[in-house]
Amino acid sequence: MRPDFGYFEEKQLGKTYDLRLLKKLFPYSRPYQKLLGLSILLVVAITLLDLSLPYVTKIAIDRFIVPQTTAPDRDTVHLDRRSINQNFAQKHDDRSLSQNADQIRRNRIQGLTIATVVYLIIVVANFILNFWQKLIMEYAGQMILHDLRTTLFAHIQKLSTTFFTRNPVGRLVTRATNDIQNMHELFTSIISLLFKDLILLVGITIVMLVLNWRLALASFCVLPFVILASFRFSRNARDVFRLLRVKIAEINSRFSETIGGINIIQLYNQEKANYQSFAALNHENYRVGMRQVHISAIFMPVIEMLGVVAVAIVIYAGGRGVLADSVSLGVLVAFISYIKMFFRPIRDLAEKYNILQNALASAERIFLILDENDFDDPVLETKISSLDQPDTTRLRPLPTTFESFAFENVSFAYVEDEPVLQNISFQVAAGQTLAIAGPTGSGKTTLLNLIIRFYEPNAGQLLLNATDLRQFAKSDYRSNIALVTQDPFLFSGTIRDNICQGNPEITNAELNQILEASNCQHIINRMPQGLTTHLSEGASNLSSGERQLLSIARAFVSNPQLILLDEATSYIDATTEHQIQQALANLMQNRTTIIVAHRLTTAKNADQIIVLNRGQIIEAGTHTRLLANRSFYFKLWQLMGA
Amino acid sequence: MTSHKLLKPYFIENRYRILVGLLSLIIVDLLQLIIPRIIKWAVDDLTTNGISNVDLLKYALYMVVLAMLIGLFRYAWRRCLLGTSRRVEEGLRNQLFNHLQTLSTAYFRKTSSGDLMAHATNDIQQIRMATGMGLVALNDAVVLGTAAICFMAYINVTLTLFVLIPMPFIVLGTRFFSKKMYRRYQQVQAAFSDMTELVRERFAGIRIIKAYAGEEQSSNQMRASSRHYVTENLRLVRVAGFFMPMMLLFTNICLAIVLFLGGRLTIYNTITPGDFVAFISYLGLITWPMMAMGWVTNLLQRGAASLDRIDRILQTPPEIASPPNALKPKHVLGEIRFQNVEFRYQSDGPNILSDISFKLKPGQIMGIVGPPGSGKTTLINLIPRLYDPSRGNVLLDGHDIRQFDLKTLRHQIAFLSQEPFLFAGTIRENIILKTGQPNDQLLTTAIDKAALAATLTLFPKGLDTIVGEKGIILSGGQKQRIAIARALLSNAPILVLDDPISQVDVETGQKIIAAIRQIRRFKTIIIVSHRISAVSFADQILSLDSGRVIEAGTHADLIDNNLYYAHTYQLQQIEEDTHAA
Repeated sequence: MRPDFGYFEEKQLGKTYDLRLLKKLFPYSRPYQKLLGLSILLVVAITLLDLSLPYVTKIAIDRFIVPQTTAPDRDTVHLDRRSINQNFAQKHDDRSLSQNADQIRRNRIQGLTIATVVYLIIVVANFILNFWQKLIMEYAGQMILHDLRTTLFAHIQKLSTTFFTRNPVGRLVTRATNDIQNMHELFTSIISLLFKDLILLVGITIVMLVLNWRLALASFCVLPFVILASFRFSRNARDVFRLLRVKIAEINSRFSETIGGINIIQLYNQEKANYQSFAALNHENYRVGMRQVHISAIFMPVIEMLGVVAVAIVIYAGGRGVLADSVSLGVLVAFISYIKMFFRPIRDLAEKYNILQNALASAERIFLILDENDFDDPVLETKISSLDQPDTTRLRPLPTTFESFAFENVSFAYVEDEPVLQNISFQVAAGQTLAIAGPTGSGKTTLLNLIIRFYEPNAGQLLLNATDLRQFAKSDYRSNIALVTQDPFLFSGTIRDNICQGNPEITNAELNQILEASNCQHIINRMPQGLTTHLSEGASNLSSGERQLLSIARAFVSNPQLILLDEATSYIDATTEHQIQQALANLMQNRTTIIVAHRLTTAKNADQIIVLNRGQIIEAGTHTRLLANRSFYFKLWQLMGA
Repeated sequence: MTSHKLLKPYFIENRYRILVGLLSLIIVDLLQLIIPRIIKWAVDDLTTNGISNVDLLKYALYMVVLAMLIGLFRYAWRRCLLGTSRRVEEGLRNQLFNHLQTLSTAYFRKTSSGDLMAHATNDIQQIRMATGMGLVALNDAVVLGTAAICFMAYINVTLTLFVLIPMPFIVLGTRFFSKKMYRRYQQVQAAFSDMTELVRERFAGIRIIKAYAGEEQSSNQMRASSRHYVTENLRLVRVAGFFMPMMLLFTNICLAIVLFLGGRLTIYNTITPGDFVAFISYLGLITWPMMAMGWVTNLLQRGAASLDRIDRILQTPPEIASPPNALKPKHVLGEIRFQNVEFRYQSDGPNILSDISFKLKPGQIMGIVGPPGSGKTTLINLIPRLYDPSRGNVLLDGHDIRQFDLKTLRHQIAFLSQEPFLFAGTIRENIILKTGQPNDQLLTTAIDKAALAATLTLFPKGLDTIVGEKGIILSGGQKQRIAIARALLSNAPILVLDDPISQVDVETGQKIIAAIRQIRRFKTIIIVSHRISAVSFADQILSLDSGRVIEAGTHADLIDNNLYYAHTYQLQQIEEDTHAA
C-alpha cells in the first residue's frame, strides 16, 4: 500500500553486518572469557558423553546381546549364532552345547550388566555436567548483558539534551531493556549450541568413519542435499523473518497511534477507514506469516525425510555388510543412532540462525546509540584523543567560588529561524538575586535551560567569573548549581534517597539540619516510615507544595553556589506557601540566585529584575527603578495590584 | 473460561483445513511408527540370515517411500494447522482493534496504552503459539505416545512396564518444576519490569539528573537493579538448568532399562534382536513427547491466560454508544444548549463542571476562557460525547444528544483538540483523513485559512511530505495548523476549537482567527482560548473558574465586569502594545 509509512527505524536495519557486529560485541565478553572457556569445555565433555552413549549400546549389542562378527574368536560367534538360531529353527539340540550356552549366557549377562552400569554412569555424569554448564553459561551470559546494559545506560545518560528531544523515551528504554534482552540467547544458548552442534557433527562424522568408513561415506550421500536445503532455508527464513519483524513493528505503531489518536478517529468518524487499513496491514502480516509457515513446513519435513533416507541407506548398505560379515549388527544399530543424532544439530543450526539474526539486529540498534557521540561534555568522553588536542578545547577546572555570572549577547533558537531569545545580556554578582519577569512564552524557561546548559547558545556566551562556561565540564558545573522547579520531579524510591541523591556523606545530623532549614520536618513526621517512606511513581502521596519543599531540601544537600528557581504558578494554600517562602529564604542566604518570577511579588525583593518580552530584554533594574520607568513592568505591577 | 468461544468461529471457518491437518498429523505419526518395524524386520532377517540383497533393498525402498509420504503429510499438517493459528492471530487482532475503536475516552483514561499494546502483541502471540504448536504438540504427544507404547507392549508387555517406571517421575517432576519455574519466571519478569520502570523514569527525568549532576548515582541505582535482575535469572536457571537435564536423565534411564532388561530378554531369546532394536527406536519416539509435556502444558496455560485477557477487553462494553432507535437526521441546524450540566470523572470524585447552562443559536460564536484547570476542555468534550455529563443535559436542536446516533452526531461536529494529533502519513492524508473528499479546491481553501500555505513551500514534497509518527518532523505550530486545516475542511455545521492558536505566533494566530470569523453565520462555532483576541468577537463569552461559569456575556459586558476576563485582556494588551512599539 504505502511503501514508506514513516517507520524509519526498522527499515534502516535491512542489512546487518554480522561479523562487524560480533567483533564489536567481543570486548564485552573479555572479562568472562575464563568462564566462557570453561563452559565450552563442559560442552565438549557433554557432547563426547552424548556421543559415547550409542557406542556403549553398540558394544553391549555386539559383545553381549547379539555377539556376531566382531567377537574376538570366531568360535563363540558360530556357537552364538547357532544358539540364537535354535530358537527359530530348532536345528541343534545338543546337551553339552546347551550347558556351554548357559555358561556363555551368564557371561554375557554379566557383561551386559557392566555395560548398563557404564551407561548409567555416563548418563548421570552427563546430567551433572549439563547442569553446571547451564549455570556457568547463564552466569557469564547474564553478566555480559549486565555490563552491556549498564554501559549503555551510562552512555545514554551522558548524551546531550538535544539527543533526548530527538529520541522518544520509549525508544531509549526499549534499547536498554528489550534489545539487550534479545541478545540473551546469543550469549547463552547460541554460543553453547554452536559448539555443541559443531562438535557433534565433527564427532559423529569421525566416529562413523572409524566404525566403518564405507558405510559412513555411503550415508553421507545425503549430506550435500542437507547442506543445500539448510542454506536455502536459512536465507529464505531470514528474509521472511525480517519482513515479519517490520510488519509487527508497523502493527504496533498502528495500535499505539490508534490508541493515542482515538478521539480524533472517533470524532471524525474514521473508525471504518482506519479499521480497513489496519486489516489490510494485518493481512499482509498474515501473508508473510504464511510464507514463514510454508518455508519451515518445507524445510523441516525435507530434513526429516533426508534423515530417514540416510537410515534407509544404512539399512541397505549396512545390511549387505552384515550379510557379508564386514559389518556387525551393533555397528548397524549404532549407525542408526548416530544418523539420527547427526540431523538434529543441522536442524538446530538452521533454526538458531534466525535467533542469531534477531540478536544481531538488536545489537546493531544498541551500537547505533553507543556510537552516538553527541555528549554533554564531548571532551571528557574522548579521554585518549584529548591528549593530542590543542589546549583550547581542553576543559578548565571549575573555580571554587562563583564571583560573577553573566550573559553576553546571547541568542538562542530551538528551531532555525524561530528565535526564542535575542541578544540577552546581564550580570549577577556573587550572593545577589536576579529575577526574570515577563509574560508566558517570553523565553523565561528557555533562559533557565541555557543556564543549566541543557542547550548551548547559538550566539554570544555565558560567563562564569568572566570565563566562557563552555570551558568547564558540564558535570562539574552542574554539581555546583541547584534547580528548584514549579513541578519537581521526584523519583520513586525513599524520601531519603530523593533528598540525598545517593550522596552517602550526608550524616544524620546534617540531614536533620537540612530538613529543619527546608521546613520538611513536618512532612517526614506525617509519613508512616519517616525518611524511609517509599514514594510511589510521580510521588502522588505528596501534595505539590510538599513536593516543592522536598526539592528545596534536595537543593540544600548539593550545597550549590548558584540557585535556579522556577517559581510556582499553581495554587498553593497560604500555610504551605509561607513555608516554601521561608525555606527558600534559608536556601538563598549567601548564595547567588536566579528566579523566574511568575508573580511580581517575588521579583520585588530581588537585587535586579530583568523583564523579558518575546525573547528580548525590554527593561532592567531594581523594583523601584522599574516602577519609576512607568513602562511595561509598571503596567504589570499595577494590574497585579488591581 | 468462556473465552474459548472466541476461538470457535475460527475453528469453524477453518474446519476442513483443521480436519485435513489433524488427519495428516495422525497419518504422519502412524507412518513414523512403521519405520522402527521395518528396521526390526531388517535386523531380524539379518540375524536369521534369511535375507537377500533384494529384500534388503526392498526394506530400504519402503523406508524411502515412507519418508516421502511422511514429508508430504508433514508439510500438509504444518501448512494447515500452523496456517490456522496464523488465521486466528489475524482474526483476533482485527477483532481487538475494531473493538478498541468503539471504546470511549474514559476507558483509555483508565487503561495505560502500554498495557493495551501488550495485549495486541504478546497475548495474541501466545494464543497463536498455543493454537498452533501447542495443539500440534499435544496431539503428537498423545497419538505418538499411545501408539508407541502399544507397539512396545506388543513386543513385550513386561519390558514395556519396566520402561515406563520413570514415567510417573517425569510427570511429577514436570509438575513440580513447572510450578517452581513459573514462580521464579514471574519473579524474573517482575525484576525486568522494575528495571524497565527505573530506566524509563531516569530517562524521563534526565533533566533533573543532569541539573543535579546525578548521573553517577543514577548509574549506580541502575546497576543495582540490573544486578537484581541477573540474580533472579540465576535463581531461575538453577531450577530450569536442573529440570531439562533431569528430563534427559529420566529418558536415558529408560534407555538403560531397555538395554539391560531388553538385552537380557534378547539373550534368553524371549525377544528377537530386531525387537530389541525396534524397542530402542520406539523409546526414541516417545522421549520427545514425554519431555515436551511440560512445555506443552505451559504453552497451553499461557495461551488460555492470554485468551482470557483478550476476552476481558472484548467484553468491555463501550460506555458511550448509540441508543436504540437513535435519531439520524440528515440535517441539523446547530443549536447547542447546556442545561444544568454537571460532570465528574469518578462518581465519588470532585465536580469538574457544575451547573453549566447556556444556549447557542445556529450560526453564533461562543468563546470560553478561564485559568488552566477551570474545565474549558471538559466542557467542549461533552458536545461530541467524548464523555457524558454526570447530571443535566446537552441538547442539539432541542434533542438530548444521547438520543442521536453517535456517528451522526459526531458527523455534525468538526473538532479541534488541544493537543493536535497527527497520524504517520502525509500532510495531505492528515488533513483530508481517510474518508475525506479529494476536492483540491476545498483543500487549498482550508490550507489557506489555516495559514499553512507558506509553511508547505518549506517542504520539498509539499502536501505529500511524510510527517512520521505523531508528526515528529513538525514543530508544534505546524502540527496545530494542520489540525486546524483538518477541522476547517469539514463541512459539519458545528465547529469546536480547543485553544486553536496556542502554539502559533501572534501574527499567524490573527490570520487564523480572521479566517474563522469569516465563516461565522455559516456554522455554529465554539472557541476555547487563553488568548482574549481569539474570543473577543464572539456573540457570547463564558468565563469559567473551577468548573463554574463566573461571568458570561459579550466582550463589552465582561470588560465592564472587571473580573478574570478584563484582567487577562489588559495584561495581553500591555504585552501586545509593548511588542508593537
